[in-house]
Amino acid sequence: MPEQRPTQPVSSEADPQPEGQTDPPSLPLHIEYNRRKQRQQRRRSPLRASLAVTAGRTVGALSRRLHLGGGTSIMGIVAQGIYPQIVTHLATELEYGSVVITGTNGKTTTSSFIATILRNGGLRVWQNREGSNLMRGVASSLVIRSHLNGHLRRGGRAISILELDEAAVPQLVKAITPRVMVFTNLFRDQLDRYGEVDSVIGYWKRAIRMLPDSTVLVLNADDPSIASLATGFTGKVIFYGIEDPSLNLLTRQDQSEQHQVIDTRTCMQCGSEYAYDMRFYSHMGHYYCPNCGTRRPQTEIRVTQVKMDEFDRTRLRVETPTAQHEVVVPLPGLYNIYNALAAIAATLVLDVPWEPIATGIEQFKPMFGRGELIQAEGRTLRLLLAKNPTGFNEVLRTLFSDEVSRHVLFILNDNTADGRDISWIWDVDFERMVGQTQAVVVSGTRALDLALRLKYAGVEQEHMTIIPPYPLRAVRRVLSNGRDDRSTTANQSAGLATRSYGLKKALDSALQQTPAGETLFVVPTYTGLLEVHRELEQRGLTPHYWEGRDA
Amino acid sequence: MTNHVTPSRLLTLGHLYPDQLNLYGDRGNILTLQRRCALRGIELRVVGLGIGDALAPDEYDMLFIGGGQDKEQAPVAQDLYEIKGIGMWAAIEDDMPVLAVCGGYQLLAHYYRPAEGPDMRGLGVFDAWTIHKGARVARSIGDIAIRWNGQTLVGFENHGGRTYLGTAQPLGKVLKGSGNNSEDRTEGAIYRNTFGTYMHGSLLPKNPHFADYLISLALKRKYGEAETPEEETITTAERSNGSLHAHDTSVHRTLQLEKVTGTALPELATLDDTLEWEAHASLLERLGLHQEAEAVLRTHTEHLNA
Repeated sequence: MPEQRPTQPVSSEADPQPEGQTDPPSLPLHIEYNRRKQRQQRRRSPLRASLAVTAGRTVGALSRRLHLGGGTSIMGIVAQGIYPQIVTHLATELEYGSVVITGTNGKTTTSSFIATILRNGGLRVWQNREGSNLMRGVASSLVIRSHLNGHLRRGGRAISILELDEAAVPQLVKAITPRVMVFTNLFRDQLDRYGEVDSVIGYWKRAIRMLPDSTVLVLNADDPSIASLATGFTGKVIFYGIEDPSLNLLTRQDQSEQHQVIDTRTCMQCGSEYAYDMRFYSHMGHYYCPNCGTRRPQTEIRVTQVKMDEFDRTRLRVETPTAQHEVVVPLPGLYNIYNALAAIAATLVLDVPWEPIATGIEQFKPMFGRGELIQAEGRTLRLLLAKNPTGFNEVLRTLFSDEVSRHVLFILNDNTADGRDISWIWDVDFERMVGQTQAVVVSGTRALDLALRLKYAGVEQEHMTIIPPYPLRAVRRVLSNGRDDRSTTANQSAGLATRSYGLKKALDSALQQTPAGETLFVVPTYTGLLEVHRELEQRGLTPHYWEGRDA
Repeated sequence: MTNHVTPSRLLTLGHLYPDQLNLYGDRGNILTLQRRCALRGIELRVVGLGIGDALAPDEYDMLFIGGGQDKEQAPVAQDLYEIKGIGMWAAIEDDMPVLAVCGGYQLLAHYYRPAEGPDMRGLGVFDAWTIHKGARVARSIGDIAIRWNGQTLVGFENHGGRTYLGTAQPLGKVLKGSGNNSEDRTEGAIYRNTFGTYMHGSLLPKNPHFADYLISLALKRKYGEAETPEEETITTAERSNGSLHAHDTSVHRTLQLEKVTGTALPELATLDDTLEWEAHASLLERLGLHQEAEAVLRTHTEHLNA
C-alpha cells in the first residue's frame, strides 16, 4: 500500500515556499499576537488529529494515483470526517494566525497581494490555493502541510491567508478565529447557488456575531452592504475606499457609462434608495441615504489619486492616518485598485511597514486567470476571468475604454461552478465593444447564447466566429436530410451551416486572427478558465496547476 | 444598429419597476423587442415606471414587468396594487399586450404567500396564487421548455414559489422543467393579451416568434391590420382623463373589439433569425428534446427562404 510514500510530492508541490528553506529570513515585523486565548478554546486530541491527517493524505494520494481528480478536496473531507475539529486543531499551531478574505469579486487577487506582501515581510505564508475555497479546501490545505503525527509542519512564523467562499464564512469562523477579516464587495453572483444578495449578508452577519473583539474587520467603505457589516461589531474596524473625484461616473457625459448593474440599491437601515456624491461602478461609491442619513463611513486607508501610466500600470496615491505614499499596481482595471487597497489595509493592520507593502504590490504577478499573461505562438494571451455581471462589466470597461481595438476570445460556460443561469449576460454592457474589436471568438457551452447577446448589442455576425463545444444533432440532421431536395441550399444560405467545435479550435481560431506581437484577451467564466488552462498546459505553455479546485 | 429605416410607426413600452425588478436579465427582453421593432421600421420607445409613478394606460402600447429580490418585491407589490392597479386593469382589459416574468407574474395573480410573514397581495389579473413552501422544498431551478401554441418556448427558471392556477389558462404545457408548480405540467398563465411566465434566460431573445407575437399584438391594437397608421381613435381620448371606471372599460372594450375583431395579426417583415433558432434548438437538445429541436430548425430556417 502506498501509504506514506506519496506524501513527499504532495507537500513539495503544495507549498509555495522553496523546499530546503528551513527558516524564513529574520523578521522585520513585530507582530504582536496572543495565541493563548485560542489555545484554550477546545480540547485537543492529538491522536485523532494524527489519524485524520494520515487518512486524509492516504486517500488524497490514492485518488491522485487512480486519476480520480486532484485529490485535494477529498483529503479535507476525509480528515474532517475522522476529526471534525481538525481545522481548529491545526490552525492553532500557526504562530501568526489567519487572515480571511471573502467577497464576491477580488478574493483571489486580494489574498495573493496580501500573501506577496507578507512574504516580502519575512513571514511563512500559507494559502488555500490548491484546495477549494470551501471549508473542506481549507482543511485540505492544512492537512497537506501537516506531519502524520497531527502537527503542522513548520508552524513557526507562519500565517495563513484563507480565501473563502461567501457562504462558507460562518462555518470557518466556528473553527478558526481570524486575526483579520477582509470583505471586498458584494455583487449578485450565481443566483441559483447563493440565492439572492441579501442572503449572503445574512451569512456574514451571523459569522461576525461569532467573532471576538480581538479580530479586526477590514471593510470596503464604498460598498454599502459591506460597510453595513460594521454595525453592532464591538471590535476594531478599518474602512478603505477610493476618494478620487476624477473616477466619478456621475460627472461623465459618456452615455456608455450610464448602464450599470446595481446590486445594492436601497439603504440597509431604512430601505430608501441611496443617493450618490460619487459613483465609481455598479453601487460602489460615496453613497448616502437621503431618508435616514446613513452614509459612507470615513476611511482610514484611502486612494486619493489614480493615474493610469499604461494599460496595466496604475499609479496610486495612498493616504493612511499617518502618511502619504505612492504605489504602482501592475494590473489593469479599477477593480484591481480596490483589491490592492484591501491588501494594503489588511497588512497595515498587521503592522507591516510600508516598504514591503509597496514592493509586494509592485512586484505582484497576476494570479491564475486574473490578468495572468501567457506567451503563445508569438502572441500574448491575457486571461481575465469574468464570472458575474459586475465583474464582466468591469473587464469590458477595462478593455474598451481607450479607443484601442482588441482581439477577444469569450468562453461562456454554465457548469455548476459557473452558475447554471446565464441570464445575466443580458445585463452586461457588451454594447461598449461595438466597433472596438478586431477578432471576436465566442465559445463555451453557452456560445450560442453569448453570440445572440452580441448580435443584439450590435456586433455584426460576420465579425464573430462562433465555436460551440459540439455540433447540434438537429443541425446535422436538417442539413443531411435536405441533401436530396432543394432545401439544402436554402438552409445554408440562411446561415445554418456546420461550424468548428471545441475549445481547442476556438483558441486556434482566436490566435490565428490575432496578428503576431499583439495581445489576445481571453475572457472566460470559471470553468472556462480551467478548460483554457488545461488546453494551454497541453500545449506546454503554462505552469502546472492543481486540478480539482472546485471553488 | 444596421438597416436604419425611418420609423413610420411608434410603439411605447412601459417597463414597470426597472430599478427594483431587474434580477434576471430582463434587459434582454427589452433589447429584443427594441431591435426587432427597429429592423421593421417601428420605433419602440421604452418608458420606465418606478415606484410612485402613475400608469396612464393610454400612453402605452405594451407593458413589461420583471422579477426581483424578495426584499424589493414588497414595496413593489404595494405600489402595483395602490398606484398602478387601476391603470393596469384598464390596459389589460383593453387587450394591451403585457409580459410579466417571475416576480412580476406572481404579482399579477391573487397573492404570494411567503414561507414566513404576511401574504403579498397581487392584482388578481390571473386567477392563480403562489405559495412558497419554505426552505425544505427545493427551488425550481434549471432549463425549461414548454409547448405554446403548437410551438416551443425555451428559457431558464429559478423560483421558490409554486403557482397554482384556478380558472386561468396556462401559457403552455411543460415539456421539460418544473413550470408553475412541478405538479401539473402547466407553465405560466394567460389572460386576454397578458402573459405571465417563470421563464427568463432572457425569454425573448431565444424565442423570436413570441417576441414578434407580442409586437404584432401591439401593432394590431394600435394600428389595426392595415400597414399604415390610423388616426388615434376617439376611444383613447376618452380614456385620457385617467379616471377609468369598470363601466367605461367594458364600453371601451366593445368599441375596441369592433375595430379589430376576427382578423389576423399584422404581418411583420421576416428577419434572419438563424442564430436565434440555433440557440433555441440547442437548449431543446440539452433537454433531450431532439425531435422538437429538429422541427424548429426545419420550420424556421426553411421558412426564411420560402
